[in-house]
Amino acid sequence: MKLLLYFGLALVLVPVQSTVLDHLNVAGVRPDLCLIAVSLIGFFGGAGDGLMMGVLLGIEQDLFSAGDAWVSIITKPAIGLSGGLVGRYVARATPATVAPMMLGFSVCSGMAFLLAGAGGPDAMTVVQSVLVPQALLDGVIGVAAYWLLAERFRKDDSLV
Amino acid sequence: MFRSTSGTRRVLLVLCALLLSLVFVLPKQSHTLLQAIGKPLADLVALPLELLSSTDRRAGAIWNRYVALRTVQEENEQLRREIEFLRGQTADLREMAAANRRLTELLRFQAHTPSVTVGAQVIGRDATNWYRGVVLDKGEQDGVRTEMGVVTLAGAVGRVVKTRASSSVVLLITDPNNAVTSLIQRTRDEGIIEGTFEGQVRMKYIPLLSTVRVGDPVVTSGLTGGFPKGVPVGTITSIHKDESGLFQTADVRPEVDFTKVEEVLVVTAPRSTEEPPPAPPAEKSKP
Repeated sequence: MKLLLYFGLALVLVPVQSTVLDHLNVAGVRPDLCLIAVSLIGFFGGAGDGLMMGVLLGIEQDLFSAGDAWVSIITKPAIGLSGGLVGRYVARATPATVAPMMLGFSVCSGMAFLLAGAGGPDAMTVVQSVLVPQALLDGVIGVAAYWLLAERFRKDDSLV
Repeated sequence: MFRSTSGTRRVLLVLCALLLSLVFVLPKQSHTLLQAIGKPLADLVALPLELLSSTDRRAGAIWNRYVALRTVQEENEQLRREIEFLRGQTADLREMAAANRRLTELLRFQAHTPSVTVGAQVIGRDATNWYRGVVLDKGEQDGVRTEMGVVTLAGAVGRVVKTRASSSVVLLITDPNNAVTSLIQRTRDEGIIEGTFEGQVRMKYIPLLSTVRVGDPVVTSGLTGGFPKGVPVGTITSIHKDESGLFQTADVRPEVDFTKVEEVLVVTAPRSTEEPPPAPPAEKSKP
């Protein structure tokens, strides 16, 4: 069941990100579904699962992006791993504790892209117009997804 | 038969015969008589007639409103389904007609351009927010390689940065990481086109003594970027001095609407419009 879910996510997330989500952008910025998925997989499924899915989704995302072919491959597994560690050491997770985690992951990922030269020389503009809005979007959608999944997966031990 | 009839009956028969004779002999005069006789009869008949008619109408109304409605409802649902189906078909046909128009124009453009090109469809946008790119449905097996230029009927779109067997990723000219050598069509001054984060393009390194002015068209120079010479890039909207004071920089409004790019041509072998198209290979003479 778990493998099937991961396989489905790996198959669907990047195409959705690059096609459907383009119509649902907010001021030209879309949430990073792969980032949200990887961090929640790590959080609920453990660091190993987060790492594995991070590698898979990172490779996929880099394949369908015009950027350098390493940023997502490095950031996504790191986020999955960190999500797993947070999931292990946070005793009583609530949406209020997951929100800063999502924001932090998104900001770190954005910083990695900035370091890789994305957005050109005007880094401050990119921070204001992409990094911050994307972090907020990731935070909101991530918390919503956590809220939906928490009840189910906290009771069901199949993913833990 | 006559023998068996009574006196009154005989009288009536005679009267009827007389009346019929009168009708035949004097049709106009008999008309008044017939009306006079028929009026009370008509009044009498009218009562049940109206009653029957009213009942019939009511029964008809009941039938139409209640009993026949069952069929009407089915018919209505069927018609609604048909309308939905036809609406869908109309939308499909409109979409096909629009695609047909675009592809016809693209084919016409492809036929006229001297460069060798491969038609491709945009199947997605960049998977991250950090780059301005599109994903094409053509890849290495169609002859698409990295650094090839991508154009539309309107002008330059970008360059291929990643290729796989059946798809490729194009970095748009509006991305700050893209740079294409271009020239101002009127003055022939060269510069470099770079993307800005706002989705516009900027022409840098225009010579200080250039007489460039707002409204000048900018085209590709054909030196780098996999583009043939003379592909439209955009129109200059403002000019200002470079920070170093050695060059001018111009803001350029791109010719292509990058949010609506659906079909493109990948330039696999760029040739400028000034060069003659290559001659077709000569057929080998049969022995």
